[in-house]
Amino acid sequence: MTTTDEDLAVDLLRAAPTHENRAEERLRAWARIALAFGDELAATPDPLPAPEIAEVLGGARDDVLVLAEYDTRVRTILVRPDGISRAVKVLMRAGVSVTAGELRAAAVAHEVAHHRMHRGEGRELARRLGHTAFRLGPWRIRGHVTGADELAAHRFAHRRTGIGHGPLALTAALTRHTFGG
Amino acid sequence: MGVLILAVMAAGVLLMLTRVLPTAFALGFMAIGIALCAGQPLFGGKDSVAQAVLQTGAPMLASTMIAVLLGSWLGTLMEDTGIAATIVRKIVEFGGERPTAVALGVFAVSILCGSITGSAAAAMLAGVVGIPAMIAVGIPAVVAGGTVLMGLAAGLPLELIGWQFLSDAVKLPLEEVRSFQLKVFPIALVLGIAYIVVELRRKGVRHAWSVRAPGKARVRRGDAPWYALVTPLLPIVLALGFAVPIVPSLLAGVGYALIATTRPGGFGTTALKSLYRAFDVAAPPIVLFIAIGMLLSAVKLPGAVKALSPMVSAISPSSPWFFVLVFAVLVPLCLYRGPLNVYGLGAGIAGVLVSGGIYPAPAVLGLMSSYGQVLCVSDPTSTQTVWSAQYAGVRPEKVMLSTLPYTWLMAIGSLALTSLLFLA
Repeated sequence: MTTTDEDLAVDLLRAAPTHENRAEERLRAWARIALAFGDELAATPDPLPAPEIAEVLGGARDDVLVLAEYDTRVRTILVRPDGISRAVKVLMRAGVSVTAGELRAAAVAHEVAHHRMHRGEGRELARRLGHTAFRLGPWRIRGHVTGADELAAHRFAHRRTGIGHGPLALTAALTRHTFGG
Repeated sequence: MGVLILAVMAAGVLLMLTRVLPTAFALGFMAIGIALCAGQPLFGGKDSVAQAVLQTGAPMLASTMIAVLLGSWLGTLMEDTGIAATIVRKIVEFGGERPTAVALGVFAVSILCGSITGSAAAAMLAGVVGIPAMIAVGIPAVVAGGTVLMGLAAGLPLELIGWQFLSDAVKLPLEEVRSFQLKVFPIALVLGIAYIVVELRRKGVRHAWSVRAPGKARVRRGDAPWYALVTPLLPIVLALGFAVPIVPSLLAGVGYALIATTRPGGFGTTALKSLYRAFDVAAPPIVLFIAIGMLLSAVKLPGAVKALSPMVSAISPSSPWFFVLVFAVLVPLCLYRGPLNVYGLGAGIAGVLVSGGIYPAPAVLGLMSSYGQVLCVSDPTSTQTVWSAQYAGVRPEKVMLSTLPYTWLMAIGSLALTSLLFLA
């Protein structure tokens, strides 16, 4: 059976400790909404000036790999070349072929999506997810869906860069392998 | 004789710092060495090494050990029944779009967990769900780890086990310890909140494409019912509001957690399983408290008091503000298993300060409490610091650098309070 992006997205959501007891249907519905939001975001031109991009050391450890970060305080994308090159090696061991350049482009695009969502467009995603954390009569407190923005950013990066293996598939492949060496 | 005792202490600190010996063993050997240097015989008489240090000293902190075991039992139950994880999940769900609100929520849960049990067990209760959840909403990893630890430090003044330890160590009534610790709580609370607000403003929110290596799969549990979520508050309310002693307060928490989360037919099995697991959790601190009891007994021996008092007295500041200044400067000596670690040689030094009459016992209580705050959060060799840092994916030293300015201020605040209340 082929694993779809939606299946991978559900797995990613389920891995968050905040969702460990959620029903499959609920996670699947959220995954669909988040992926569709990522598609829409990628289809619209970036309304904001592109954030600065800087390269910083680190990102490759035996227990965690960081490919890129978006620093909201200085509105800068921090690319981690060490994390990217280690990820390429791990993916090669996993039988997934991707170049450092492709991965870097996807990582930058992923953080561009975070930049956009952080600057306001994320509110629309939260509205569409429509998760109610608490309701008292007509009053309702909207709940946060951990990981939904990650799904949207992954899909955004996939659409914008068009790399063969999308960030969701790459993340899933990485989580199945150890990072040492 | 005094110089010999100091040499034994220095050798013990060296053994702990270099990790040649585990802290508890080093303290045990130090206790025997100090007693021998103080001229006490190995056997015979109530002040012998065998009698005073080993026989009387080992169970000296027995009340603390029972409190540790019960606190660990309640902590284990809160983990097994999903109470702690449910509270954190609710907080993230409610405050997820505002990272500061999430961090403050996890901080509040950490206070509750820290007030029930100590060490890595408390950090795990709040951190297993809290740390990845904070990182997922963009809180930098070092601040996520630091938030849990600052919560534990703010919970420390409310920790029933801590009251018992301080009461046993400086021989003060529990009421007096409780009264002082309640005055320390606002200082720890304000600085804990300041850490979150300032560090999040300073470091900002970060979103990352990061991947974790496959780890040991966590046991996934269902949500605990809403009425079970008050469990961590129950022992504190009983002990503070109704002056119920520590053991029954903790037992009431255990009983309530069981009733609120377990089917009646399963009470016995759940209670026994979690109790046996609690022994594992409680073993390291209990071993440490056995060794601290021996050390406290050794430094209180007549020979040791006679030898050490003049030396300690000569270097101990007498004026109230000098007390604050000197002990504030010495704060780093409680890190890295240093000589002022109150769960190490620091307990022995506190014993000398009390038995030598250098400071009144309440002032020594204040000193220990002040250093305890720093130790709990910033010491990169404390189990809770190591666990939180590693779970967040950063080095413990980074957490120390991030939290130390705040815990140092916490210690200065508590020292000033001590000085005002007991020395002015």
